[in-house]
Amino acid sequence: MKYAQGIQVNVPKYIFVFANNLFEIEKKIALNGDPGNFLRNITKMKEALEENGVTYENPEGEPFNETRTDLDASISGTGTENLYVVDVIKPIIRAGASGISTVIQKGIVIVESKNKGESHE
Amino acid sequence: MSKMVNFGIDLGTTNSLIAKFERGVVEVFKNPNGFKETLPSIVGYRNDAILVGEKARTYAERDPKSVISRFKRKMGTTETMKIASLNASKTPIELSAEVLKELKNFIHSGEKPEAVVITIPASFDTIQSNATKEAGELAGFKSVVLLQEPIAASLAYANKEKNIDLRNSQWIVYDFGGGTFDVALVKIVEGELTVIDHEGDNYLGGTDFDAKIVEELIAPALLKLGTFDDLVNQMKSESGKYNRLWTMLLHKAEEAKIELSNKPSAEIDLGLIRDLEDDTGKSIDSMITITRSEFESIIKEQIDATAEMMKKILTRNSLQASDVEFILMVGGSTFIPYVRKRIEELMNISVNTSIDPTNAIAIGAAYFAGTKEIKGDKNQEQTRSNQASLKAKFSYNRNSQEPAEVFQGRFEGDLKDLFYRITRDDGAYDSGLKKLSSRIVEDLPLREGEFNSFTFRVLDSKNNEIDVGGNSIQITQGKYSVAGQLLPWDLCLVKDDLGKKDTILELLFSKNSVIPTKTKKTVTVGKTIVKGSEDGIISIMVVEGPSENHSSTNKPIGILSVGGKQISKDLLKGTDIDLTFELSESRDLSVSAYVNGTGQEFSQVFEPKPRAVPVKMLATEILSLEAKLQSEQKEADENGNRDASEKLDKLITKVQNLIVAAGTLSDDDVTDDRFKIEDQKRKIAQEMYSATSSKRLDIAKSSYQATKREVAELVNKNGNDREKHAISAVFAREQVFLNSTNPERIQSEVDELESIRFEILARDPEFLTGMFMHLVEKRTAMNDQVQAKQLIDNGRRLIDSESWDDLRMVNGRLWSLMPSAEQNSEEMRFFTGII
Repeated sequence: MKYAQGIQVNVPKYIFVFANNLFEIEKKIALNGDPGNFLRNITKMKEALEENGVTYENPEGEPFNETRTDLDASISGTGTENLYVVDVIKPIIRAGASGISTVIQKGIVIVESKNKGESHE
Repeated sequence: MSKMVNFGIDLGTTNSLIAKFERGVVEVFKNPNGFKETLPSIVGYRNDAILVGEKARTYAERDPKSVISRFKRKMGTTETMKIASLNASKTPIELSAEVLKELKNFIHSGEKPEAVVITIPASFDTIQSNATKEAGELAGFKSVVLLQEPIAASLAYANKEKNIDLRNSQWIVYDFGGGTFDVALVKIVEGELTVIDHEGDNYLGGTDFDAKIVEELIAPALLKLGTFDDLVNQMKSESGKYNRLWTMLLHKAEEAKIELSNKPSAEIDLGLIRDLEDDTGKSIDSMITITRSEFESIIKEQIDATAEMMKKILTRNSLQASDVEFILMVGGSTFIPYVRKRIEELMNISVNTSIDPTNAIAIGAAYFAGTKEIKGDKNQEQTRSNQASLKAKFSYNRNSQEPAEVFQGRFEGDLKDLFYRITRDDGAYDSGLKKLSSRIVEDLPLREGEFNSFTFRVLDSKNNEIDVGGNSIQITQGKYSVAGQLLPWDLCLVKDDLGKKDTILELLFSKNSVIPTKTKKTVTVGKTIVKGSEDGIISIMVVEGPSENHSSTNKPIGILSVGGKQISKDLLKGTDIDLTFELSESRDLSVSAYVNGTGQEFSQVFEPKPRAVPVKMLATEILSLEAKLQSEQKEADENGNRDASEKLDKLITKVQNLIVAAGTLSDDDVTDDRFKIEDQKRKIAQEMYSATSSKRLDIAKSSYQATKREVAELVNKNGNDREKHAISAVFAREQVFLNSTNPERIQSEVDELESIRFEILARDPEFLTGMFMHLVEKRTAMNDQVQAKQLIDNGRRLIDSESWDDLRMVNGRLWSLMPSAEQNSEEMRFFTGII
């Protein structure tokens, strides 16, 4: 059981496994294409999770700074300014009703400085 | 930091609801008995039990004289309702409080809200608004915030339709409830809703349709079935033979009306009414069929009148039908298919029925409540901040359309070795530990379309939390909030107009100004008030209604009186009084008067008196209004003012209809007809005033032109630079005020010219000598003959030596020797004592 202040959420462990794997399949499809139209089934499964208050998010491309506590980030390269999420290993999983939700799994991500070139100089 | 109100109540004429805002979501509570969201606004008294809602409605079948409904329409009147079983009377406020108390039972979480938002029609006047607040307080709420119903409905709509881009759009809210009708033009600017304009009728609603069904459809059918003498009046009069039948038939009519929304016809089973007999004792048991087209034909006139009100709003704001996105339908009466169809036809604007007309207002009220802090808990806050070694003040928007919102905090106290940290409660944001300074600014990231709750903590070097009197920051993203509520009518101060021996209105707050608001005025004491005297009183009186009208046609809101007994020294004529008027969001008007002469301050929160409308007095007033209209029309005819004469003619027809309507009222009429008639009478009086304003306008204009010629000549001849400047300023404004339709405005410019004239004359040797001679003639009447003789001798020398400045002083001193009756001759005309 995980909870944030005021909102108590009870999510069984297998839901995390489901969500993480769905996310991984999505990533693979994005990489290798979707000849069998699997995306439709994934969408259905995502909707089923959503109906029960669980959603996952892909933070790829979003800016990162140390105030973000929904991400566990590894910094790639030496630059520490102007960081962006470049790769997502595990998505952010949230639980709750519409209008109010809470993070139940932090996203595991790799971040990189956009001014990488400049910081080397 | 304080808690939010969160609870919203729609206190309706026929049904009431309660809803709660919690973390971005609104829940409408259901009645634990029957699980309906609505509670019928009906109160019944059975022995010592108080029945509210459905139970009272059922009880009405047995003892209709102990059950009261539709009392919202009598809010703000002195009317009380007789309860047969109690052998006592209850006020509309007490009855409303019973409904509010019952609504508290809906709250399944067991919370006991201290504060609540209660909705009122936009056209409720101050007296009616205050009565609603009072009902809330009587029901045990410590703080009551009022919200206008069109805003509540719009909030419910805007927050529901998140996917439609409403930015910078405008629409009309058509709120046709059980007892009141309101239309409002609403606009969204920068994510905030504003009511631009509104119209309404507090005495038009679904219950009028019920009454019409009884009077125009059921009663004629009854007359065919049996012998009744004067049936309708015998039903409507409290002492009438069939008064009991009136309540029961209204109930049957309401059922039939609801049925007609779905079916082409409805049947009323008279057999279900116990002991229904005609004058001859014949028992009546039959079915009456009402068709949809019959029903539509009796309500057509009223529906068309509501469209007229919308057209008025469009014209006033120079809008075309195409400028308005849609007409948002709320209120139970908009379930009637004919209402929707007819309005769409007449307005050529599509009607929007996407929100539930029954609960929209309660939902909107709860959204609003979610952004309102509970006030009035000052003591607690005081002690809390006293205990805390640190004083903190936070400021931020509670509603945001942005992805991040700026949060600012100010701190007072010893800030050494202190840190702060802000975390978002969903676990996705942490500011980290930062050094606390007297002023901090943070950008808080928000989740789109969600309720964002943050925790703010101040920590010492050992990571112990320091109390700053509250630590929660709550921001709703992507929902719409309210820019402000609008004042439905002008509020004016009544002042004396010495020239016309009458009163004049000075505008304090104009219609549609956003409340809460504040204004300052400085007035002058028109007559000297002697300390300790009984009779000398100045009155600061505020009235509600159009500012271009006469004070007598507007509703009095309150009077702050300052008398001789209250002042610490004599209050001299000409002393300035600084007035501050403050209008709260819930339309409480407080006034404070600082008297410069004595250094005292008087203040008061106005508590407007409810309206009393005795039937006999009403009839007399209407008759005198008719006489006044006729004499105005005669005058207009004589002056060849055809336009005014035509308008007055229409008003005379209207007032004559009122005479007929008032004539049929029995002294103990149980309906709210007399308030409707009184309302219409006031409207006619106001229309008369604007129809005849052209007459007063002409007088004011010609008086201005005459004064202008004379004063311009005088300034040219003897005026100094300052006076030349002052007069050219008046001329520069001339175009504007002459084109205004406000005679009072022009008169005030005439007064300005007069004061310039007097300034010049006061330097003019001829005028000063003339004045001196005039005073010399009166010398025998002067109080101190010795002093008078000295002054007169001195004055004569001054004329010889042409010392005009000194002569002016002598004149002043001689004037002060005049008997007070002479000096104060003007005071006989004072109404309020302030000018």
